[in-house]
Amino acid sequence: MKFLSIFALLLFVATPLAGFAAEDDKVHQGIFVENPGTDLWRDVRQRNFAMEGSSQVKSVDSNILINPQGDEWARFRVGVLVRFASITLVIITGLLLLHYVTGGRMKIEGGRSGRVLLRFSDFERVAHWTLAIIFLFLAITGLMLLFGRPVLIPLFGHELFSLLASASKEGHNLIGPIFLVSLVLVLVRFVTRNIYASGDLNWLLKGGGLFGRSHVSSGFFNLGEKAWYWILILAGLVISVSGVILVMPNFGQGREIMEMSHKVHSIAAIVLIAVSMGHIYLATAGTEGTLEGMKTGYVDLKWAETHHDQWAQECQDKNLTISSEEFARLQGKAVDKSSTVAKEQG
Amino acid sequence: MARMKFYCDAERCIECNGCVTACKNENDIPWGVNRRRVVTIRDGEKGERSLSVACMHCSDAPCAAVCPVDCFYTTADGVVLHDKDICIGCGYCFYACPFGAPQFPENAAFSSRGKMDKCTFCAGGPEQDHSSDEFKKYGRNRLAEGKLPLCAEMCSTKALLAGDANVLSDIYRKRVINRGASVLDWGVNYDSAKL
Amino acid sequence: MGSIIDGSLWYFSLTVFVIGVVWNLVRIVFGKRKADFSIPRDSAVAGALRTLISRFIPDRHMLPRISLQVVAGYMFHLGLFVLLFFAAPHVRFLDEHILGFGWSPAPHWLFIVSAQFAFLGLIMLWLHRVINVVSRLISDRGDHIAAILTFVVMLTGCLALLETFNELRLLHRLSVELWLIYFPFSRLMHAFTFVPSRMFTGAWFGRRGVGS
Repeated sequence: MKFLSIFALLLFVATPLAGFAAEDDKVHQGIFVENPGTDLWRDVRQRNFAMEGSSQVKSVDSNILINPQGDEWARFRVGVLVRFASITLVIITGLLLLHYVTGGRMKIEGGRSGRVLLRFSDFERVAHWTLAIIFLFLAITGLMLLFGRPVLIPLFGHELFSLLASASKEGHNLIGPIFLVSLVLVLVRFVTRNIYASGDLNWLLKGGGLFGRSHVSSGFFNLGEKAWYWILILAGLVISVSGVILVMPNFGQGREIMEMSHKVHSIAAIVLIAVSMGHIYLATAGTEGTLEGMKTGYVDLKWAETHHDQWAQECQDKNLTISSEEFARLQGKAVDKSSTVAKEQG
Repeated sequence: MARMKFYCDAERCIECNGCVTACKNENDIPWGVNRRRVVTIRDGEKGERSLSVACMHCSDAPCAAVCPVDCFYTTADGVVLHDKDICIGCGYCFYACPFGAPQFPENAAFSSRGKMDKCTFCAGGPEQDHSSDEFKKYGRNRLAEGKLPLCAEMCSTKALLAGDANVLSDIYRKRVINRGASVLDWGVNYDSAKL
Repeated sequence: MGSIIDGSLWYFSLTVFVIGVVWNLVRIVFGKRKADFSIPRDSAVAGALRTLISRFIPDRHMLPRISLQVVAGYMFHLGLFVLLFFAAPHVRFLDEHILGFGWSPAPHWLFIVSAQFAFLGLIMLWLHRVINVVSRLISDRGDHIAAILTFVVMLTGCLALLETFNELRLLHRLSVELWLIYFPFSRLMHAFTFVPSRMFTGAWFGRRGVGS
């Protein structure tokens, strides 16, 4: 650099300007001043935030010369995120499989009782399945976009995957905002039953009966279900808000906000997908008789006593249980009329 | 094969936006899409500099790395191009690009962006050279005609240069040697006037 | 395959739809009916029009029990209406292929929002149909096919939103064609028959001077 400056000085001496410069020492020194441009370019290039300038071109971030965050985000998207997502999903699948094959499926203790009680109303089940359908659609389309390039392009080729990705993206963007609506329905409907109650800590200390196959006392929802509820609500709200930011580029938010939103959105989504896999497993293959509650609204009394003994007791005290014949009648199934009439008379 | 690069000399750029206009005209680019733009830093202050920016045709392009449908490719000349038939308009390349080169024809709600458009180094796209399809999707293919990008060709002060990287760095080195320190920050007049 | 969907199958489905709908309506409106010899106490026409409108408003006493169906029902039908007749690609299609004239479409965001309303409404209505015992018992296969077919039409349309992949457009068009063919033979006819149905009831009561 020094050599260059001296060299440059020598060059300038040979120009007519040098004559002018020689008249004033100060001006002469001006040439020795280090190029102020270097500071400027250091600012532009090496700062951790984007330096703002101005431009005649008016569009999102058009006044920012270099956004160093972009490259960092790209590395997160194709490296950290894909690794984190695949490892998380593989681990959770492995754990659930392990739980199942080691005989983790929880049976109803002492078999079915023949009496059932109402667990979820029609509206609650509609809200649940609405959220479930939308969630599954979003999870599948989202994962396709995330894992498409490493997994699906080698399988389908660029053209076909591009078609699938386009469909996934458009579907994800359109259905996405509905997730927030159905999430709010579930939030409002189930919040009162998901507040911490005494005895929940005890449930936690005993590991929720997940290991060792012992059953722990609990109310309508146990702490595990409450935790799932709050993970769903919190992660769901985070996903929804960041998703709305991502899906509304028309409001002109810059790249840094988009990159942040994407990071938050994807991590929260992977967490929610992982936990929801646990929820789906426990509600279907993991325990006997749980899915009935979401299908018909009614669960067996023995199931309730096994998993939610306090709630079962409350219902029994209020005389809310009904016989399975009555249940079949409520479900509109053909029942032998004479026996029903006889019972009603009796 | 040549390795194509842009180079913009901040000591020469006078923010005339001639490159922006040349690009728009040559490639028939609609409103809202700006493949090239001039950014001015410290506008009106001491040390003001302007630079013309477009796609820098990076060797290890973040846009290509992050594209979920893998629609980018690098030509033998080192020009980074993309296939609009594969692009799904997700916007990831825009988030990843440090220079803000990727552009979208729309910016409507619900991520309706249309397909990405960016500087092609006036090298068209994957379609047949000089076909009407290529022109409609990507603009002019000047490289195939043996010409350089019009933005650089039309630059009035020769601040913006385009061409083989080795040639460009030779030109720049000569300029720096001849110029010495910055020509724009001498501070000759009022500093010395002793007012 | 594409030429069949864009060509012969399209004309076939459109023919089935138009002839089926017209035939159904003619059958309903001009069908043989027992003559009413009673002396009219009030205007049948007024009653018909009154009922046609008043049935849009749910019964006040029933409302608390059917609020889900009312809200989701309106969401679905209004959303589908806007989506069907004011989405830019639909207006363009009607202009180019059927009517020969168009109108100004809704902005893109309104198109998407109405689609979201329609999706949420349809999903909740169908879930209510299978979850609520009474709804389930009074639903037959036709109801489920109609709901699912409509959902498939909406979903394929949603997936084809980028409007660049011909295969996705063909998929949407194919589902529309199946929907059109199914339309005249199914509950989907209610899109037209609700008018004569309500008016018939209204006229019958109106003639007797009774509100309905």
